[in-house]
Amino acid sequence: MKVRVRHIGPATHPSEVVVSVDTTTGAEHLVVNQRSLKDNKLEIGYPINSLDSNLLVELPRETINGSWRVWVPQASVE
Amino acid sequence: MDPAPDISFYSSTSLDLTLDRRLTLFKDQKTGINLSIDPSQKGYNHEEVMAKNTTPVDIDEEHGFEFPPHHMILAWTREFVELKFQSRIAARVEGKSSLARLGIGIHLTAPTIHAGFAGQIRLEMVNHNKVPVRLRIGMKICQLIFEQTLGTPVRGYEGRFAGQTTTKKG
Repeated sequence: MKVRVRHIGPATHPSEVVVSVDTTTGAEHLVVNQRSLKDNKLEIGYPINSLDSNLLVELPRETINGSWRVWVPQASVE
Repeated sequence: MDPAPDISFYSSTSLDLTLDRRLTLFKDQKTGINLSIDPSQKGYNHEEVMAKNTTPVDIDEEHGFEFPPHHMILAWTREFVELKFQSRIAARVEGKSSLARLGIGIHLTAPTIHAGFAGQIRLEMVNHNKVPVRLRIGMKICQLIFEQTLGTPVRGYEGRFAGQTTTKKG
């Protein structure tokens, strides 16, 4: 499955970019390799858990704030 | 792994990776200015902080890069590494004894490459030596030690128990 992200800007290495994921507690930024992005979507595997209309997903990289798993609205996952 | 490592880069327990041309150097702080980084502050933007406080440098193909003593730089492996999240493989990036003996550390307490990682591995390098050490593009810079997980990582598992957890809401 994939989660929608927003492109924020370049990262410190030319192969990387900073993207933003909208979580239930606000936007989280993370650095990913450009090859990991397709149509502003990031592969996340299968959700870890669900609650109401939100999914707990594990991102492919640690966010800048140090999180691997984040709650995201179900609508942002496909 | 891209480019695929030469067979000579493997050992029975590890795989050597090589140094990419791009480095990030931390700028020297000006005397009289007291700057500190506060990663816990709301709105902290790592890449913005790095852009303001670092300079990207490409290693000179002929002369290499003279790594000053007691400095920290960010570097990357030349190899693009992908550990499929459906696999049972994670890895640790570790230094090489040949460089450790020269005082070169290649990571700062964050060696884990998680299942699902895809990218060039970022290295936090420190020269602990009293003299500069010359770094060259493509030199063997670190090694990967692969680890097999006991089961498929939860997000890589699509079998009949997918999504089940051991915790229940009270």
